[in-house]
Amino acid sequence: MGVLSNCVKPNFLGLLKCLNSLNWFIVFFSLINLSVCIYEDQIGKFDWRQTYVGRIKFSQFDTVSTAKKIIVATEENVLAALNLKTGQVVWRHVFESASTGNIQLLHVTEKVVTVSGSNPYLVRGWDSATGVLLWEWSLTLQNEDHVDFSEWWVQNNMLVHMVPIFGTHIEVTMYNVFNGQNKGASSKLPAPWTNEGCVLSAPYYTCISGDVSSGLLLSLDVTSDAVQLISRPLSEYVSLQSSYVNLSPLDGNSVIPGFTIDNRKIVIIKNNQLELLKVDVTDPSASVTVIESVNGPLVLQAWSDNDFSAVAHSVSTGSEVKELQWSDRELKLPDPEISSALCTKSSREQLVCRILVTAADDSTHLIQQDGRVVWSREEALSNVVAVEFVELPVSDLDAAIESEFDQKEGSIWAAFSRRLQTQIQQLQTIIQGLHKGEGMEEDATSPLVRDYFGLHKIIVLVTEVGKIFGMDNLSGAILWKYYEPNLDTEGVVVFTRRTARHPPNDAYLTVVGKHEESGNGLIISLNPITGALIGERLLQLDVQLLQVALLHKPDNEKLHALILLDKDENVQILPISAAPLVENMYMYVAEKTTATVHGYAILYDGKSLIAQKTWLTHLGGGPGSGHRIVTAARKAPGERVHSPGRGEIFDIDGGALVGRVNNTSLVHTDVVVATCVDAASGAVVAAQAHRRARALALAVHTEHYVAYLYYNDKHRRTEIATMELYEGKQRWLAAGAAFSSLESWRAPSVSRHAYVLPAAPSAAAATTTERSLTDKHILLALSSGAVVEVPWVYLEARRGVGPDLEGVVPPPPAPDVPLPAEARLNYNRTVARPERVYTAPAGLESTSLVLVTGLDLFYTRVAPSKTFDLLKDDFDYYLITIVLGALIVATYSTKYFASRKMLKLAWK
Amino acid sequence: MSQIKSSKKFKWALDFNQKNRTPTTELPSPPGYSQSANANYTESSKDTDSNLLLIKKLWDVALGPLKQVPMNLFIMYMAGNSISIFPIMMVGMLIVRPVKALFATQSTFKMVEGTQAIGQKFVYFIGNIVNILLALYKCQSMGLLPTHSSDWLAFEEPQTRVEHIGGGMSLI
Repeated sequence: MGVLSNCVKPNFLGLLKCLNSLNWFIVFFSLINLSVCIYEDQIGKFDWRQTYVGRIKFSQFDTVSTAKKIIVATEENVLAALNLKTGQVVWRHVFESASTGNIQLLHVTEKVVTVSGSNPYLVRGWDSATGVLLWEWSLTLQNEDHVDFSEWWVQNNMLVHMVPIFGTHIEVTMYNVFNGQNKGASSKLPAPWTNEGCVLSAPYYTCISGDVSSGLLLSLDVTSDAVQLISRPLSEYVSLQSSYVNLSPLDGNSVIPGFTIDNRKIVIIKNNQLELLKVDVTDPSASVTVIESVNGPLVLQAWSDNDFSAVAHSVSTGSEVKELQWSDRELKLPDPEISSALCTKSSREQLVCRILVTAADDSTHLIQQDGRVVWSREEALSNVVAVEFVELPVSDLDAAIESEFDQKEGSIWAAFSRRLQTQIQQLQTIIQGLHKGEGMEEDATSPLVRDYFGLHKIIVLVTEVGKIFGMDNLSGAILWKYYEPNLDTEGVVVFTRRTARHPPNDAYLTVVGKHEESGNGLIISLNPITGALIGERLLQLDVQLLQVALLHKPDNEKLHALILLDKDENVQILPISAAPLVENMYMYVAEKTTATVHGYAILYDGKSLIAQKTWLTHLGGGPGSGHRIVTAARKAPGERVHSPGRGEIFDIDGGALVGRVNNTSLVHTDVVVATCVDAASGAVVAAQAHRRARALALAVHTEHYVAYLYYNDKHRRTEIATMELYEGKQRWLAAGAAFSSLESWRAPSVSRHAYVLPAAPSAAAATTTERSLTDKHILLALSSGAVVEVPWVYLEARRGVGPDLEGVVPPPPAPDVPLPAEARLNYNRTVARPERVYTAPAGLESTSLVLVTGLDLFYTRVAPSKTFDLLKDDFDYYLITIVLGALIVATYSTKYFASRKMLKLAWK
Repeated sequence: MSQIKSSKKFKWALDFNQKNRTPTTELPSPPGYSQSANANYTESSKDTDSNLLLIKKLWDVALGPLKQVPMNLFIMYMAGNSISIFPIMMVGMLIVRPVKALFATQSTFKMVEGTQAIGQKFVYFIGNIVNILLALYKCQSMGLLPTHSSDWLAFEEPQTRVEHIGGGMSLI
């Protein structure tokens, strides 16, 4: 593209000149291959974006402005306004992801006030309607020692900052919230009774002093000028049997300061007095808050045992409020927490309440007083850790047709009768379809069956919180969800063990993670189409797992077995019956901190599987060298590589490892080393070192090449380096021969190059297609929120070398990788904080499906070699039909007229 | 009627154009006229003349393809090696014409019999073959002939892999 645009710029003559000077190929190539952008009317046709905000930390209803909103601040350091009716994001500000973006306080009145960061803090004011920044001032604390326990709140336009120093005193400082003017020095309140179990229910700071039997409940209004300590014996509130009493503040912007004792009793502070409410906490796990209503303040509790329930009582009388009570069996909310609640009186004197509930699975629901869910947001999707694209099953009819061809045995008559039967079946379905079409309105959801081009798939997303989603890739709608609270998703891997191509067997997907507490392996097997647990279901191992691999050979039920290598280097296989299938299976385990890679051969000794250590590589040059592996990239299992004819590509069998090791011992001589290791034999195939560079954990390995990114400290820029492995001009083995790493005694020749990348990438992936015939593009997600497509020809080492044997001319040499605006996949749909890019092949060879995860989800499809197997999107079927029809008519009419003319001539 | 008329006519009419039933006796040739000599002369001269012309003409036809070779070479040189519509059309013409001509050999040499026909046909054939070879050479230099092994990749068996691997970063 760059070539062409450079040429077109001046004038037509310039273009002609350019065409003269360039080879025709380049022009051809530029036109066909690299114009990847879409047209205006295609916006949203192949792609969708979903915006998320993250798990809600603070929330408050914006009751002042006309458009009703909920202002939320989240764990992902996002400040956003959600539409009260739909739950959609009205405006959103994404802060820094590091601790500098941590939101400490959200206060909503006419303006939205936030405190973010951690020393220095930034106090900002936002317009609640538009989200425009109104003011900002920063605050740096001199003494950083106890900052972690600091509390913030806003009171009478004053920002209060409180730091308790346990056992001695409390420091309280007040600032003008608009300009940061300090109202004198910070006051130090002597408080030797403070400890780590204290709770703040602004402006009161409450502690339990002493042990349980003789303990005192102490509370202090830290903002009042006169120090008035409220003190009551603890025995007034709890029975003294328990050895430990804990305090917890009320949730959800309680209108009256208060707290719960031992998750049983609710105490509020009124008129500087502690007041025990007549209402007890209904369920130990309940979330309690006090909300204002027309009939006086109400205590609202929400909990979930089997069903999600809520109940409200009047604070003054303790009587139950009938209107505000429900129990919902359908709604599954693990550990619900009331984030925020608001009750108003409707015109018909009815209580209208909106309660924002956040559950442990990070989902957020806005619930009405009668228990109806107005909207839900699955904020777990803002933190996706693993993605798998799963094919859909064929429709029943297609399955019947396919099974017809499967049956090989039987006489010719049997085959004929089967044929007739299926034809009748087809006819029946058509008739049924007609009836349905006439009778009732078909529901809009398309059935979950495979489409002709294989573009319709299910995306299975595993999120950090342990919630697994099944999503329709065309619409982005969530089809099913499964929450496993015990799943620790660090290093989680997902395998499709059986596709939906093998009816009557269901598709089979396995998620291998860790148990939250023990760290032992936790295996979840489910049907990715329905989300139901199948097979091994939820399997909890009693040992920690080192690595997991999928056996390449399926068993009788077309199920690929799972090979589990545990901490003690024992091997298990699931299902056990597949053990005899293990053959020529190797595994490697890379250890991050020690920069060592272990290789294992998985052997079957007739009874069980054993793991034999075969090789060990110290990538850092030995233990204790301070090297560590930044990332390991492996070829997608089952990826086809078409090596013949492409300069005799060296195809590392099964995969290779790119360990990038970073010497952190000396700051100025950081080295980034990329090492290509043959994972079967342990041989180092290629290696490359970059001095004065810092590694980014981004590497792509596909076909015969490796691309990885690092930050060049010397030139202060990001660079992308590539290594390509070739066998040389002669092929090593004949076509169709078996390649074994263990028997290869030659080293491939490596061509390498590094290019400047004028952007800051945060994720990288290569496009994948069904048969790997299509060109490869590298997809880079940039920190600016763009996802760009870089053709591999721009990263090749031979770029600018000249035409190869087949006359293909690579793009002209340049030190940098061009990132034109047309190469941006997500045009103006910025993906906030992109973290990973996932690709999957579609049924069409030309097309690759792409999902970008991060704070947002962005899905699209790319065609690296253009859609050569598909008619253009705007192909005019009508025009071509009309033209064809007209031509046929014209042919026959001219024939008729011509014969008449001939006849007339003959008669003359 | 007519018969009656004619009979009537016949009755009264006198026919002066009576057909002479007696065969006309051969008139003697004028003096100095030798019938045989004249016939002989015309016959022989006509025959040899047209034969020679035909042979000459046919040799022209037979040598035509060979005479085209320099022209074809020039066209080939002018067309260049790039693949675009005009060079392709030219190469197509170069290849199609001699092939067509070869198929039309019989009709081209239909009227000829004689000793030289075989030679003519042979020369004609050789000339066309030379033209075809030239066109093929052109195709070859343009890279249109599937002579590289890379042109037959679709039929090539990919290498199979022996070892299968799994693994990655340590999960612990």
